[in-house]
Amino acid sequence: MRGADYVIKRTVFALVTVFVAITINFIIFRAAPGSAITNLSRVPGATPALRAELQREFGLDKSKWQQYVIYLGQLGRGNLGVSFSSQEPVADELKRAVVNTIPMVLLGTVFAIVFGTITGVLAAWRRRTAVDYASVTTALFFYSLPTQWLGLMLLLLAAGKLPSGGRVDPFLFNPSIVQHMVDVLEHMVLPSATLGLVLYGEYTLVARSAMLETLGEDYILTARAKGLPDRTIVRRHALRNAMLPVTTLMALSMGYIVAGSILIERVFSWPGIGQAVFSAVRDRDWPMLQGAFLLLTLSVVFFNYVADLLYFKLDPRISE
Amino acid sequence: MRRWMRIGAAVVSVVLIAAACGGEAGEEGEETGAPKIVEGGILRLGSSSTIDSLNPFKAFQQDAYNTFMYIYPFLVQYDENLDIVGDFAEDWEWSDDRRSVTFHTIEGGKWSDGQPVTAEDAAYTLNLMLKYPGPTGLMAGYAKHIVSAETPDPNTLVVGYEAPVNEAWALSQLELIPILPEQVWSQQEGDNGKGLRTFTNDAPIVSGGPFVLTEYEKRDIAQFAKNPDFYGPEPHIDGFGLKFYTNEDAMISALLNDELDAVETFLPTALEKVQADPDMVVVETEGVYFDDFIFNSNKPIHEELLDPKLREAFAHAIDLQELVDVVTLGHGQIGTTIVPPVTGEWHNPNVQAATYDVDLANQMLDDLGFEMGPDGVRIANGRPMEYEVLTPDSVSGIDREFQIIQAGLEQIGVKVTQKKLDPSAVFDVMAGPEYVYPESYDKFDLAIWDWYPLIDPDFILSVLICEQWGFWSDTGYCNKEYDQLYEDQGLAVDPEARKEIVWQMQEMIANDRPYLVLMHRNVIEAHNKQWDGFVISPQGSFNNLWKATLINVHQVG
Repeated sequence: MRGADYVIKRTVFALVTVFVAITINFIIFRAAPGSAITNLSRVPGATPALRAELQREFGLDKSKWQQYVIYLGQLGRGNLGVSFSSQEPVADELKRAVVNTIPMVLLGTVFAIVFGTITGVLAAWRRRTAVDYASVTTALFFYSLPTQWLGLMLLLLAAGKLPSGGRVDPFLFNPSIVQHMVDVLEHMVLPSATLGLVLYGEYTLVARSAMLETLGEDYILTARAKGLPDRTIVRRHALRNAMLPVTTLMALSMGYIVAGSILIERVFSWPGIGQAVFSAVRDRDWPMLQGAFLLLTLSVVFFNYVADLLYFKLDPRISE
Repeated sequence: MRRWMRIGAAVVSVVLIAAACGGEAGEEGEETGAPKIVEGGILRLGSSSTIDSLNPFKAFQQDAYNTFMYIYPFLVQYDENLDIVGDFAEDWEWSDDRRSVTFHTIEGGKWSDGQPVTAEDAAYTLNLMLKYPGPTGLMAGYAKHIVSAETPDPNTLVVGYEAPVNEAWALSQLELIPILPEQVWSQQEGDNGKGLRTFTNDAPIVSGGPFVLTEYEKRDIAQFAKNPDFYGPEPHIDGFGLKFYTNEDAMISALLNDELDAVETFLPTALEKVQADPDMVVVETEGVYFDDFIFNSNKPIHEELLDPKLREAFAHAIDLQELVDVVTLGHGQIGTTIVPPVTGEWHNPNVQAATYDVDLANQMLDDLGFEMGPDGVRIANGRPMEYEVLTPDSVSGIDREFQIIQAGLEQIGVKVTQKKLDPSAVFDVMAGPEYVYPESYDKFDLAIWDWYPLIDPDFILSVLICEQWGFWSDTGYCNKEYDQLYEDQGLAVDPEARKEIVWQMQEMIANDRPYLVLMHRNVIEAHNKQWDGFVISPQGSFNNLWKATLINVHQVG
């Protein structure tokens, strides 16, 4: 029954988090100076009638409280509203952007998780050896690099060998499936590598730290005393326990997949959610921002929820 | 402000640093041995702008307007000398009282859905704006003074005005209105025209220009194919693709590595790299784009800033040549008036920039009684002359621009600090959330921003009228005499009389100095040597002034 309590608590906590985030999303963007009307009504020959028309169209002629109630009502019906800038449903805009973003970010994140965890574990296992120093130095180096700078450097280094930007080559007409796949992968390499390298450092450091802590535990000493080989100790006894903090980090990373990366998408002209958010901020496109941040909230809360449930499975102390 | 503003363009002094105009070059080439025109192919064009919407009643970005120029008919367009010539209208005649103009349109053209392109489409579009001024508001300003649009026959359009109008002004406004296919848009009007703004006009778009927009991915790509039923000259190319970049370095890299054939305007910082490539042709010309230093002309926090003499002293303390040399790397010109020199006859050459003379500036401030304080900052009205300068982050090189101005003003005992915000936030500080005359424009002193004037001076002159408070006004300037002159210039039937008024307005602004026009920036673009025929203008080759570029552009063999 303790397990059921745990699940119920985590579920309620997740739902409350989402509701609070929805409300903050509504307030925070309206608190910023500037408005969509300011931008959209600045056209030659604009009149107060145009401004009034836009305000009515966007529902901004109503009080903030009324707008909030309408916003909640729309959300309740699964309607994210209509973008001020494009006049298209926010859900459609988000879907298009997220579909473009996810493969690129997923590739970079998976790269970081796999290589970061391996190098972190190796560094801890071979503590105070050249392997450890090399891993930590490399990890710190990439972790501390500004993302946009690293992206630009990779772009310059790979100029002529890999595409400079975009998601696919739009001038590759009627490609075969293989050609298309190669083209897509080529375009993903640089932005994914940029993200992967920055995240990789983080994973290495967290995995190393968790592994070191675990390797210092008494039961590891006991295993050594029993004469178990190092490889077996690490694989059977240390790794699973060291995975708890890595699991948290993985959940966070996966949660942020739908957020994309504004900096990486700007550097590589990637038409994803990061760019959509960037434009929405500049345009004060509140429905678009609310939609994007709601999606991000849901994603982060969901993956954290999954991590909580995994903890339940990974760490028997929780269920005791 | 304004980068999303449809650029105007301009006349005369187009300076080609590397020749890129095509035109009849191919035909001549056969005799002279010059490269021949190779028909066909897809032009790959890179842009750092974007298409934000394919609906003319919603779009803001420059590439959207450029796209409309190539997929829709326009009654008139500009030629390479920036004179108005026919597009869908072969010719036109004005009534004696200048209250109506009759256009004769070209027969035989078809929309890409097979329907004929007729004057009735043009009348429908204009009447749409008269009928639904709210939903069509983003375009309706161009139909100012129009009261009717009628078609006595399918190839004749009569546009009526409420008062006699200036021909050049009226045509310059019509040049900005795309003709929409009635069979498509009449299905979208909805309740009181509200559907006109929600219609997404997705690709493939029913097009009547030289190209059909066949594919569009937001923030990514737009593909165009030749329209075989275009009413005008046939393009050499089979189509073109417009690829959008959010990083100019990436765009230049793509050009140099054969991912693109040509790029739209780019910053001078990349110029050296492009010029070093023997396969590239760089084209540069004077632009209409200018940067300006803004004085709050309504109720600045420090009221001494309203004094024209103080403003003149500030002008003498700013080294405009250094701004051009540093901010544009020499690819620009010192600014004089708000109507740029490239607009030809509209520009008043009698208005000159203030000389850079720090001693004179100091003397002027001394004469005004602003004594120097112990810390090197003058005192005005009992307060140190310390001001905040708003700077939108959308202006390229704005930090260096501010630093040069800051150093200049420091020499005359004026201390300025920078407040950098995004454009929307800057305007919010300037105009405030409620734009009520004369209560707004009271929360800032100074700013730096930029403008993209249109080819006709009407727009750039309009930004300073009282009515533009809360819209285009970034100064809070309001002068009834100026407003009257603005009304008069649009209705001055005699071209010479209109020019006189336009010149007078420039002098008025130069004297009152709501703006110090700092510098004009050049247009710089590049293409691969395998291509030719680009027709450069003060707003680049791919523009909303004419269809000439992509009709003329071709590969060379």
